[in-house]
Amino acid sequence: MSMFRVFISHLTDIETMTTSKKVITREEWEKKLNDVKIRKEDMNKLVMNFLVTEGYVEAAERFKMESGTEPDIDLATITDRMAVKKAVQCGNVEDAIEKVNDLNPEILDTNPQLFFHLQQQRLIELIRNGKVEEALEFAQEELAPRGEENQSFLEELERTVALLAFEDVSNCPVGELLDISQRLKTASEVNAAILTSQSHEKDPKLPSLLKMLIWAQNQLDEKAAYPRINDLSTAILEDPAV
Amino acid sequence: MGNNQEETRLSLPGGVNGGGGNNNKINMEILRLVLNRRRCNEGNGSEEEKIIEEEDDDDEEEEEVPTHLNTINSSGGFLVVSPDKLSVKYTNVQLHGHDVGVVQANCPAPTKRLVYYFEIFVKNAGAKGQIAIGFTNEHFKMRRQPGWETNSYGYHGDDGLLYRGPGKGDSFGPTFTSGDTIGGGINYASQEFFFTKNGKLVGPVYKDVKGPLFPTVAVHSQNEEVIVNFGQQPFVFDIKAFAQAERLKQHMSIEKVLLPLNVSHWIVRSYLLHYGYQDTLNSFDMASKSTLPPIAVLQENGFSEHGNMFALNHRKLLRQLIRSGDIDSAFGKLREWYPQIIQNDMSTICFLLHCQKFIELVQVGKLEEAVIYAKAELAKYFEIASLAGLVQDCIALLAYEEPSKSPFGYLLGMGQREVAADAVNLMVLLEDPQSCTKSHLEKLLRQLTACCLEKRAINGDQGEAFHLQSVLQSS
Repeated sequence: MSMFRVFISHLTDIETMTTSKKVITREEWEKKLNDVKIRKEDMNKLVMNFLVTEGYVEAAERFKMESGTEPDIDLATITDRMAVKKAVQCGNVEDAIEKVNDLNPEILDTNPQLFFHLQQQRLIELIRNGKVEEALEFAQEELAPRGEENQSFLEELERTVALLAFEDVSNCPVGELLDISQRLKTASEVNAAILTSQSHEKDPKLPSLLKMLIWAQNQLDEKAAYPRINDLSTAILEDPAV
Repeated sequence: MGNNQEETRLSLPGGVNGGGGNNNKINMEILRLVLNRRRCNEGNGSEEEKIIEEEDDDDEEEEEVPTHLNTINSSGGFLVVSPDKLSVKYTNVQLHGHDVGVVQANCPAPTKRLVYYFEIFVKNAGAKGQIAIGFTNEHFKMRRQPGWETNSYGYHGDDGLLYRGPGKGDSFGPTFTSGDTIGGGINYASQEFFFTKNGKLVGPVYKDVKGPLFPTVAVHSQNEEVIVNFGQQPFVFDIKAFAQAERLKQHMSIEKVLLPLNVSHWIVRSYLLHYGYQDTLNSFDMASKSTLPPIAVLQENGFSEHGNMFALNHRKLLRQLIRSGDIDSAFGKLREWYPQIIQNDMSTICFLLHCQKFIELVQVGKLEEAVIYAKAELAKYFEIASLAGLVQDCIALLAYEEPSKSPFGYLLGMGQREVAADAVNLMVLLEDPQSCTKSHLEKLLRQLTACCLEKRAINGDQGEAFHLQSVLQSS
């Protein structure tokens, strides 16, 4: 064997060594899966946490009855939070602001950005309803002073006021502000702020765990071939491609 | 794909008690439900404590942690270790490079965590200030500075260099001397060592050695003296914040993962279906009508497998009966709807229901009736080894004046009813050949845990494990 051949065969050796992954068969993997301890109570808590954080009050109450799982927050506060969220979603921003302040005045005092976004939403609703004069007055009196404090607020304000300049707002470059998604965005911002003020996480844990599953599988892919779950919605275990 | 549903799909023509492999599998599954709960409740203390205890036992966090210096394995003759084994002093006059005073910790740094960290305080820099802090493996030659030999790493005080193997001194950080506190750590997530000086991070060093590593200190000139802190005293460096920042980094990369639209919603929904929480399900569907596409649309998009509608109403009613303690009625309904499930009195499901009936009698103080019931219905299960333990626990309730405060009080709670209800639910579900024994949520959580454990095992047992409970407790 020539030196060159030897060298090449060495190289392939090294290559197979570094690329050969540990292969875990379905049988071995299923044994590992079976050894995992998952407690029913914990799954119940996870589901309750989802219902509560996403604001499914009634479902949370029923779930408490049916499964005996205690919610990690006073269910009454969900009702208030959902009322605020709904008000923003329906365009009743003034009403929403009042409700937030009833809940806890500190929420808006300590969140200038949230307060600005609510005011901006209020302006958007005025423009949507064709109340041009009222909109201008509101922009000058309530929003302009805030724009002076903060450059990004000012830019947002200018973008919003620009809505007034267009004949056909549905086709203008800032038309997206009138979209329903803008309301949803503001609504979820308020929702998150209220949750935070109640020292509750603003996001449910379940989506994070699902992300973690995808992430963990991707990480493990680098080291091993094993049965994966590729479709979260069916949770079917698929054999590794060998 | 192929046979990928074999694992959890059990087809069950002709009921469950006719013998054969499937029955064993189902009995095992039910038994798992029961024994899990029993195991959780061994030992004393409140239920919460027991759960936490169990978690601790989980062969995970039970690693030995360095607490003092190893006086047996140190380079004797050149140094003196204090009686508390936490400080070391070079007493000799330095002669050459093979008379370094080196001491390792009493055990290697623990690995099953995110970071490990320890500190030294330089009490006296002595004649030359040749003090080093670092990590060495078990084969380290105990007369050399950490970093001078292969598989050792050391941050040296006299030149501020980082040594990692023969002849390799890299410019790294400031020098250190009397009055300085120097820290050495391992970041298992990034596979790096890191060092600190007086509470500030000096920098990371890539860790290219696997296997156990001992925290190590070295002194090498007359009167050099250092005090080691393995965490018994508060650290100067904020290691908690460091670990938190590291966790956040990981968290950020996880949060970047994109999920299919509304997938959490459907997983919750299929969970409610699986366990027959029908009232919750109806509320959930009502409330999400406005924000989510109707199920009909989803089915067109392949969302049809989102749980099992099978016998939902029956399962809900059975659950309600068991949760209210009305075992007789639950038996009655089962006899009416699914006689095959309870036809074999020696099956695990019958056993579980009989136990529950007995427990309910104890609960309401009908002890005489309970005794009669136990003789008639429970005694026979003693001959089944896997069930005997639970029978014993149940009957032991009779021995206590206040059974709820006894070690077997866990049986009297709602939790035990839930176990019985889950078992019955599972049995009914299995009447449908399409059924899975586990909910999607449970399968996903098992996969997640197994992946994390496997990743760590391949990585030489380094890093944190995944615990659903700690995720649930953090908020």
